[in-house]
Amino acid sequence: MPDVKLVPEKWVDRYSDYLFNYTITRVNDAIKAQDLVSETFLAGLKSAHRFKGNSTERTWLISILKRKIIDHYRKINSNKGKAEVRMSYMNSSRDESGDWMEERVQDLRNPNVEDDIEQKELGEAINECIANLPERYATIFVQKTIDNMETETICKEHDITASNLWVIIHRARVQLMECLNSKWFKNE
Amino acid sequence: MGRFFINCDDASILSTRAHYNDLNSKERFRHNLHKSHCLKCRDFHKKNARFQRGINKLKWVKLTVEEKDRIRQRLLQAMKK
Repeated sequence: MPDVKLVPEKWVDRYSDYLFNYTITRVNDAIKAQDLVSETFLAGLKSAHRFKGNSTERTWLISILKRKIIDHYRKINSNKGKAEVRMSYMNSSRDESGDWMEERVQDLRNPNVEDDIEQKELGEAINECIANLPERYATIFVQKTIDNMETETICKEHDITASNLWVIIHRARVQLMECLNSKWFKNE
Repeated sequence: MGRFFINCDDASILSTRAHYNDLNSKERFRHNLHKSHCLKCRDFHKKNARFQRGINKLKWVKLTVEEKDRIRQRLLQAMKK
């Protein structure tokens, strides 16, 4: 593996969206997710001297972020000795009569709620799988599939031909499909 | 004949490109022709479509320019120290 050097000046442009998506599916709070991404970069900067170049920058930052997310939940759980249970229960229902539990059960039967849960789980699985892709594959796949960037723009940025781009995207998709098969589709 | 028939490697790339609406009519024809006699590629195309549906279902969140700037400022300040 060629020597990988850290370029903190480029971290925000290169990885912030990816890390943010990775975090938001796990903490479900946009502000907290931004803080965690920001803290990850700062922690990365602090421990840059320990980076040996055995992995890519992104993999290294993800490993820091994972620890930050675990710390975040530890902090919540140790707060007054109990876990914080977040329920986005409709405000209006406080004044209404009716069985709270019954309403929750009804909510869960609502297809939208099921879709949201499914989407969240799928999002987590895809993020995990993208994290396992080689960095170049992941970047190009995200740019084309998620950011919907023009083929030409991506080719210029990475200095590759259109056929190279499609081979990379195809390989990335095959790897993602295999990864998702083990993480997600097997449950269907 | 070679103009119409493609191998499985080319067909699988065309399958991927098809999901980005990147095929011209000739390529679409070649791909469909290949799928009509190749069970493996037909199956791959189905799996590829299923994967695409999964991707389409997702809501991808992006940081705004201001949010990125805020993070960048924190990072730059820390770098100066």
